[in-house]
Amino acid sequence: MKICQVEGTLVATARISGLQNRRLLVVKERGSSGKQVAVDPVGCKPGDWVIAVGSSAARDAAGSKDYPSDLTIVGIIDYWDDAAAKAGA
Amino acid sequence: MQIHRVVRDLVTSKRNFWLASKSLRVVEDAGGNLEVALDPIGTKPGDYVVTIGISAARIAAGNPKITTDLTIGGIIDHWDENRWRN
Repeated sequence: MKICQVEGTLVATARISGLQNRRLLVVKERGSSGKQVAVDPVGCKPGDWVIAVGSSAARDAAGSKDYPSDLTIVGIIDYWDDAAAKAGA
Repeated sequence: MQIHRVVRDLVTSKRNFWLASKSLRVVEDAGGNLEVALDPIGTKPGDYVVTIGISAARIAAGNPKITTDLTIGGIIDHWDENRWRN
């Protein structure tokens, strides 16, 4: 699982039917500069540190095996001090 | 899922049977790397899109037998270059 920080919601009106009306969030993986998009079945706010699963587990985590997601948020981390984590604490 | 920008259409007349007659697009990521994605929606060059990778790409294509590892899942309503690059 990856540790990511939520940046904001992503609005995509024209989408494939398989994605349904699920919320999509722009997230930044810890330690990488690139942005990714994750399906959010939990309900996160911008700034939240979350854990997200990738690969085929992302499909199950989004609710069904037929859901086309490759990154799904599975939980919000209660407390994450990024500076302390970097220092190895 | 990733955020890509559609660069142009891609025509391949001679292709793998399981790619069927799906349309393809050349897409670029924030770093300028080019990739080819399957397009079930109908996107134009310049559109910012959400692309779905790995095994979910095959489901997103509408049929798990279709041989793709990158499928366009939706067109982003509002997005700008600055937010994309940084």
